[in-house]
Amino acid sequence: MLSRTQRPPNTTPTEALRLVKVTKTYGTADSKVTALEDVTLSLPRGTFTAVMGPSGSGKSTLLQCAAGLDAPDTGIVMVDGTEMTGGTEAQLTKFRRTRIGFVFQQYNLLDTLTVAQNTILPLKLARRRVNRKRVEEILTAVGLEGRLGHRPDQLSGGQRQRVAIARALVTEPSVIFADEPTGALDTRSAREVLHLLQEAVRIHDRTVVMVTHDPVAASYADAVLFLADGRLVGEMRRPTADAVAERLAHLGDDVPAGV
Amino acid sequence: MLALAMRSIRQRPGRFTATLLSAFLGATIIMTFNSMHDTAGANGVDATSAETLSTAAGVVGGYGTLLVFFAIASTLTVNVRQRTAEIDLLRSSGATPTQIKRMIVGESVAVALLAALLAIAPAMLGGHALLSLFQDSGQVADSVDYSFGPVALMSGISITLLASAGAAFLAVRRATRRRQPAGKGRKFFTYAALALGGLAACSTFAFSATDPALMAPPAYGAILLAIGFALLSPKLLLAVLDRLPFSGPSGYLAVRNMRQRAAQLSGVLMPLILFTGMATATLYMQAVENDAIDASGVPKSIDAKNLETLNLTVVGIIVVFSCIMLINSLYAATTYRSREFGQQRLAGATPGQVLGMVGVESLVVTATGVFFGTAAGLAGIIPFTVVRTDSLLPDQGLGTWLAIVATATAATFVTSLATARCTLRTPAVGAVTLVA
Ligand SMILES: Nc1ncnc2c1ncn2[C@@H]1O[C@H](COP(=O)(O)OP(=O)(O)OP(=O)(O)O)[C@@H](O)[C@H]1O
Ligand SMILES: [Mg+2]
Repeated sequence: MLSRTQRPPNTTPTEALRLVKVTKTYGTADSKVTALEDVTLSLPRGTFTAVMGPSGSGKSTLLQCAAGLDAPDTGIVMVDGTEMTGGTEAQLTKFRRTRIGFVFQQYNLLDTLTVAQNTILPLKLARRRVNRKRVEEILTAVGLEGRLGHRPDQLSGGQRQRVAIARALVTEPSVIFADEPTGALDTRSAREVLHLLQEAVRIHDRTVVMVTHDPVAASYADAVLFLADGRLVGEMRRPTADAVAERLAHLGDDVPAGV
Repeated sequence: MLALAMRSIRQRPGRFTATLLSAFLGATIIMTFNSMHDTAGANGVDATSAETLSTAAGVVGGYGTLLVFFAIASTLTVNVRQRTAEIDLLRSSGATPTQIKRMIVGESVAVALLAALLAIAPAMLGGHALLSLFQDSGQVADSVDYSFGPVALMSGISITLLASAGAAFLAVRRATRRRQPAGKGRKFFTYAALALGGLAACSTFAFSATDPALMAPPAYGAILLAIGFALLSPKLLLAVLDRLPFSGPSGYLAVRNMRQRAAQLSGVLMPLILFTGMATATLYMQAVENDAIDASGVPKSIDAKNLETLNLTVVGIIVVFSCIMLINSLYAATTYRSREFGQQRLAGATPGQVLGMVGVESLVVTATGVFFGTAAGLAGIIPFTVVRTDSLLPDQGLGTWLAIVATATAATFVTSLATARCTLRTPAVGAVTLVA
């Protein structure tokens, strides 16, 4: 159940996300895949973390469990000092609305809504008041001021991803999860998206967790977590693209990468 | 290309269930009624029996065939439209529009052929039962033997194939020529259906009150008007959509959805309007007919009673068929939306809000469908009643109509909501990555 145990009023917790011994397996007994095994981690507020690892190492599963989109088999997930384990989909959804933003590789914008409508959709769904000025500010910040009336299919991939980021920012969540947000973008659009995520951390004090395969993208983060076969196998602070690439190559040495 | 089509059918049989079901039921009905022609044409059938059988096959078989044609065509159009993603993928991997067209049309033809072949056995059983009904009511001599011959077979196969191939061809042509707004053909089709429907309904006045085929023109008229209304209604719906008093997140989503997808809505509205229109027209006309037989002073013998039962059974088959088609297309249309529902859930919609949105949409669709369906039905009933009885409207009261509306409403709401609920069981992340 969702319980507000560790959050005394008037103090903002310094810890945005905590996972304790999170394990997740898929499939039935005879064809079991352990996607996450005993993952424990803690991310302070206002940090930008990249998660890297071979394909199939459990990165997406980690993000989805942390964001309440998937339920871990065992272990505890805490966002903003509030435990988020169990509960119905409706309860989890209501919890996510206020604290969590998610950006997907495939954007997941609604085709029937315009840029502006997509952006304010989480607010509408939560029956929250829409502060038009704030929404316009956000859309200007992501460089979409001239395209409020466009539909997703009239936008480029980079523009769509910027709408998705605006949508994740508009609810002022404490943690934003991004699963390969630059995976489908060219170098320039990717750089813009990464800058936006960086700004969310630096300027708005959000916490960003981003899965990526690209060492250059990872170098925008404050720290990189390495995952292999569902386990956390390392961490790098102040990453550079070269150091990350080097480390990834070695990760491939000791751990057979799942294909 | 046909080999490719067959392979794609074998690999994803589920996707063809809706089309297969509609083609199968449609072919069964066509063959059942048209086998009366075969039975009538057999050697040694007396003139009265032959005439009764031919009239039944001609009247009910005639408008039944038209109904089946559009039912199959509408299911197929929805099916092909749902595959635009796959068509885009094929195009981007180098398939020419002609190749894609051949593949989609080939698939449809294969499914239709299979459906028609599967329909032969049930149609024979159905035809047998129908003949016994005629014999029980004394309309046909007991000595007449049932026969299932070339008329039943050819009409069943050709109508099913024609409807499938034609609809698939038109739908895939639209899908492979995206850039250009679909307009002229549709507009022409809409007005042609409305004009022909109006003409057919009016031509009822040219018949005499006791003509055995009197029910045919108004039934044709009601079907064609229903088709025309179904094509026209999304446009009219757009005009009133903004004035609808829906508030809250579910209403917000529903209204925006429907405004964007108005053209696709006609795929769901078509079977709904057809059901309401056909059920209203045929059930009331049959009631008027039965009353007229009573009023003609012929003492109500066992035979007359049986005749009424027979007529209502025949009409009932048509009504039940259109109701199944309604459920079938709603199910297909809603299953297809699981990705969209997943995206809404990821954006923060609770399952309840998604269901609420589906509910609001169902309400609007039902109201529109019932309105236009009733209009199409009345266009058939009024000329028939005027010619048959000299009064304007049947004196049967609203009971039957209310039952039809209740059925349409229940079918729409229960199918849409239950199907949506089912798709919500897939986790949202899984639902958006599923390839339709
Ligand atoms: N819904 C599922 N059902 C069954 N197995 C799954 C499911 N989702 C993930 N898996 C399995 O769990 C493991 C981890 O998957 P995950 O998607 O988290 O990997 P990933 O690190 O994100 O890989 P990639 O870099 O390719 O996106 C894989 O072996 C995958 O096959
Ligand atoms: Mg992944």
